Amino acid sequence: MSQSQSQSQSDAARTPRPETTAAKGTGVPGGHGTSAAGVTITGLHKSFGDNEVLKGIDMSVAPGEVVCLIGASGSGKSTLLRCVNRLETPNAGTITVGEHEATHPDVNLDAMRRQIGMVFQQFNLFPHLSVLENCTITPRRVLGQSKAEAETEALAQLDAVGLEHLSERRPDQLSGGQQQRVAIARALTMKPQLMLFDEPTSALDPETVGDVLASMRKLAQAGMTMLVVTHEMGFAREVADRVVFMDQGLVVEEGPAAAVIGDPQQPRTQDFLRRVLHPLGE
Amino acid sequence: MAMTTRDRARLSLGIQAGIFLAVVIVLAILIDWTAIRGSFFAFENLGPMFPEIITVGLFNTVQYTVVGFVFGLLGGTLLALMRMSSFPVYRWVATAYIEFFRGIPAILVFIALGFGASLAFGWNLSTLQIAGSALAIVASAYIAETLRAGLQAVPKGQLEAARALGMPAWRAMVTIQIPQAFRIVLPPLTNEAILLTKDSSLIFVVGMAGGAAELTKMGRDGINIYQAGLTPLVVAGFCYLLLTVPLSLLARRMEHRNPRTAKK
Ligand SMILES: Nc1ncnc2c1ncn2[C@@H]1O[C@H](COP(=O)(O)OP(=O)(O)OP(=O)(O)O)[C@@H](O)[C@H]1O
Ligand SMILES: [Mg+2]
Repeated sequence: MSQSQSQSQSDAARTPRPETTAAKGTGVPGGHGTSAAGVTITGLHKSFGDNEVLKGIDMSVAPGEVVCLIGASGSGKSTLLRCVNRLETPNAGTITVGEHEATHPDVNLDAMRRQIGMVFQQFNLFPHLSVLENCTITPRRVLGQSKAEAETEALAQLDAVGLEHLSERRPDQLSGGQQQRVAIARALTMKPQLMLFDEPTSALDPETVGDVLASMRKLAQAGMTMLVVTHEMGFAREVADRVVFMDQGLVVEEGPAAAVIGDPQQPRTQDFLRRVLHPLGE
Repeated sequence: MAMTTRDRARLSLGIQAGIFLAVVIVLAILIDWTAIRGSFFAFENLGPMFPEIITVGLFNTVQYTVVGFVFGLLGGTLLALMRMSSFPVYRWVATAYIEFFRGIPAILVFIALGFGASLAFGWNLSTLQIAGSALAIVASAYIAETLRAGLQAVPKGQLEAARALGMPAWRAMVTIQIPQAFRIVLPPLTNEAILLTKDSSLIFVVGMAGGAAELTKMGRDGINIYQAGLTPLVVAGFCYLLLTVPLSLLARRMEHRNPRTAKK
């Protein structure tokens, strides 16, 4: 059951965050004049065969808001995220992203996806292309940018994640954390209005997690709308405007990060957080 | 007295060397060396085989193989796309074709084209046309499966990442999937080229004029022309190795130099 705090929360989310010091190359408002888009999800159902994974999700993300999605393995977080950019097709419900209605039968999926960046747990960089080419291939082939134009933008985005000097490398010559930051830069070269992150640090060595989280924090400060599936409670508490806890295909609890993580109201949230925050027991 | 790992390794090497030596000695005693030399290694009378064995025989073998491979690649690509089509009839047709031509001996295809085509349709096919299309028909069945496996070996996340960036399906296939699949299929395709090189010899069942003779035909003819036993076939065999060994080394090198494709 949703606690439907989203109404009051979306107002809080619009309060401006401190301006980023490195507005250059962040691909978000202030940098290039693109606008952030919000997400509205109502009555979302998704089944794989007989397995009903999402059982009626209602939630929203206001423009410029950062929402962290938490929940146990198998609760449907990835599926929810993948429905938003339609890597999965929902069985029922509506999703709107900015001016796009993702669930409309006539939606132009490619046009919609160009405005939604996605960062995967496994990075999914293109291994046959250099770091720079990873970041220029879509702007060039899909948006029709010139090589010079695409490379300038790509290098700016790589610079923003601190990896401009590795632009000629192949992905397999990079550490996991570096690959994930390239993946973030690659998504931003398309000037998205919304960024989806699916456990972006779960496949990383512990010492490289911090750099990725720092890049994400910077993006949040620049005003990007972000929907982040994560188990990093520290990040959620610090960066998220709101935290949504999912269990077995339903939103169980949502609210300000400090409230949901620091003082959860629902027994299932309490139970989950106890296991995540104190995996060895108290 | 306990044996160390190194002692054991030495003992194993020693035993293997001993067996090898014993086999060599037994063979050396049993084999009739004069007969072998007279039948297989009588190179002294074979001067007249050159340069035709190269300029005609090797050239024709390469020609038939290349034509077969190129058209086999085109046909194989088409069949692979049909195999993966969402239209079931295409899938059935492609599957039936692939199973049929992988399941019958290639020599039957040569016979069908060499004799059947003129009987059934009154076509008068050249040797190049018969050999090229017979090889292409057989190769396309094998190549189709190789290409399909290659495309499917590209991890799903690659296409998802491309689509998530906003690439249309065809663009993601052309820019992301096919280049990675290409690197995966190069070694098996090279192996296919080796098999085709050898299968081009099957044209002998149809027979051919002197100018169209390939290596095996020239080797067989040489048995009757020169007083050198089966040595002309040995020469033909070496000519095949001239083609296949470099291909084989190439394939092995590509397999080892880990191609830049996504890890699973
Ligand atoms: N393509 C698919 N086909 C069939 N079942 C699927 C598919 N994708 C997900 N599922 C099932 O849906 C359920 C929810 O999966 P999902 O990946 O959304 O969970 P999650 O909350 O992201 O979990 P995790 O924390 O492990 O990533 C699981 O039971 C999973 O087996
Ligand atoms: Mg998941």
